Amino acid sequence: MTPEHTRPQAEPGSFRDPQTRVFHADGEVLRGLGAQAAQDWKALRASDFFARTQAERTVTRTEEVDRELPGAPGTWSATLRHEPLPFVTYPYEWSHAMRQDAARLHLRLLQDALAAGFTMKDGSAYNVQWRGAAPEFVDVGSFEPARAGEPWAGYRQFCQTLLYPLMLQAHLDLDPRPLLRAQIDGVEPAQMRRMFGGTKRLARGVLKHVHLHDSIQSRNADRSTGAVREQLKDAGFNSELVLAAVKAMAKLVDQLDWAPPATHWGDYRETCSYSEADRAAKQAFVDAALTAAAKTDLVLDLGANDGVFSRQAATRAQHVVAVEADPAVVDTLYRQLRAEGEQRILPIVMDLADPSPGGGWAGTERAGFPQRAARADVTLALALVHHLAIGRNVPLPRVVDWLAGMGRTVVVEFVHAEDPMAQRLLANKPDGLFPDYHVDTFEKLLGERFDIARKETLPGGSRTLIAGVRRD
Amino acid sequence: MEPHLAYLDAGSGSLIVQAVVAGTAGVVVAAKLYWRRLTSVFRRKTPAEPAAPVAEQPKATADRD
Repeated sequence: MTPEHTRPQAEPGSFRDPQTRVFHADGEVLRGLGAQAAQDWKALRASDFFARTQAERTVTRTEEVDRELPGAPGTWSATLRHEPLPFVTYPYEWSHAMRQDAARLHLRLLQDALAAGFTMKDGSAYNVQWRGAAPEFVDVGSFEPARAGEPWAGYRQFCQTLLYPLMLQAHLDLDPRPLLRAQIDGVEPAQMRRMFGGTKRLARGVLKHVHLHDSIQSRNADRSTGAVREQLKDAGFNSELVLAAVKAMAKLVDQLDWAPPATHWGDYRETCSYSEADRAAKQAFVDAALTAAAKTDLVLDLGANDGVFSRQAATRAQHVVAVEADPAVVDTLYRQLRAEGEQRILPIVMDLADPSPGGGWAGTERAGFPQRAARADVTLALALVHHLAIGRNVPLPRVVDWLAGMGRTVVVEFVHAEDPMAQRLLANKPDGLFPDYHVDTFEKLLGERFDIARKETLPGGSRTLIAGVRRD
Repeated sequence: MEPHLAYLDAGSGSLIVQAVVAGTAGVVVAAKLYWRRLTSVFRRKTPAEPAAPVAEQPKATADRD
C-alpha cells in the first residue's frame, strides 16, 4: 500500500443511510461502514451468498482495506474498496429492457439473500449500475441479516423506482423517464392510480401494487411503521411470505414486456444518404483517430444510433457509452448487446440538446450528464452537429464549447447543408436562418479550442470528418 | 424485540400490501391484522374475555401458486 493518499472526497449521492458513505480518492471508490454496518458486512463477507455474487459479478467487487476516511474518530469501523464503474448512469437514462433487467437483478439478489438469511435495506433502482450491457448491484451496504417475521423495507422504493416505471411503459406505452428525472424518489402510488383509472386498473399487477397500495397507504398514514411491523408479526407474517411476495414480483416483472416500435431511426442506415465507400472511409477515419488518441479508457459515442461506431470504438477502447435519444433504438441495441454478452458498450437514452441535469439534494445527489461526461477521453460526434445546429438551433460556437467540455480527443462528422439529411432538417426552417452553418466556419471554431489532427471529406462530398485534440 | 434500525421509511401501508402480494396466505395475515384492529377496541374494554376466534386459526403458511 502506498503511504500517500489524497484525502478522500465524499460522494454527494451517498448520505441517506447514515451507517455507510461512499468516498472517492485517486480514482478509487471507498466506503465507510459504521459500527452496525461493519458488523453486517462481516456476516455478509463470510457467507456463500456473497461469494457467489462476487464470482457472478452481480454485486460490485468489494474488498476490505485498511484506510482512514474523513469523519470524527469512531465514525467508521471498517473501510471497503469497490471496483470503480466505467460510467455512472441513472434510471432516467435507461431503456425499458434495461430497467426490466435491473429489476430482475434486484429481486434475484433479494431472493438469494433471503435464502441465506439476509435481506436488503432498500429497493432503489439507483443501486443498480452497468458494466457494458450487464447490470450490477453497487450498494454492498444494503445487505443486512434478516429479522424473522419482517416484511421487506424496500418494497415501496422498488415500486416507485422500478415496478411502476415498468408498468407505465408496458401497460400504457408511456415513457417513464421524464417522471423519474423530475422525482428522485420515483413515481408515487397516488400518481400511478390517476393514470390507471377505468379498465386500466385490470392490467397485470395494477390492482394490488397500485390501487390497493395507495389506498392502504393513505389509510395507514398516521400509523408508525414500527407499530405496523408488530401487528403484522402478531398476525402471523413470516419469512416465507416475504419470499412469496418477492417471487410474485419477479414473475410480474418478467411479464412487463414492451416491444419497441419501429421508428424512423430504426431503418436509418438503410435510408441514410451515404454510400458504402463513404461508410468505409468514415470507419477508417474513426479508427485512425482512436488509434492516435493518447487515452481511450472511456469513449462517448454521442448520437450513437444503432451503435455501429460504438462497436467499432470498442475494439480500440476500454469502455464506450453509446448515447442515443430514441428509446426504441437504445432498447434494440441493448437487447443485442446483452445477447452478445457485451461488457464494454453501455447504451443510454438521452436527448443531447436536453441532457440529464443534476438532481436530488442540492442538485448534486445525482450528477448531471456534462459533469459525468467530462471524464471521457474521446468524444465521437458523428452526424450529430446538424441535429443540434439546424434541428435545435444551437449556435455552432456553443456546440464547440460543449464538445470541449468532454473528451480530450474529438471526432466530429460535419454534415454539409446540401446533404439530403441536412436538407430534411432545413426543410422545416425558414430559408437563410443558418447562414453560418458551413464546414469552414465549424472547422475554424473547432480550431480555436482543438488542434486539428486530421480532416477528410467523404467520397460523397457532403460530409466532412474532423479529428482534434483539445488544447489543455 | 430488538430496536429497528432501518434508515428508510418503508411506509406502513406498503408493509401491509406486501402481505397481500405474497398470495392467499398473506391475505389471511392481512385480514387477521385488520380483524384484530377492529376487535381491539372491544378487547380493551373487556380484557377478561377470550380472544376473537379468528386469532386462533392455524398459523398461515406461504402460498405456493
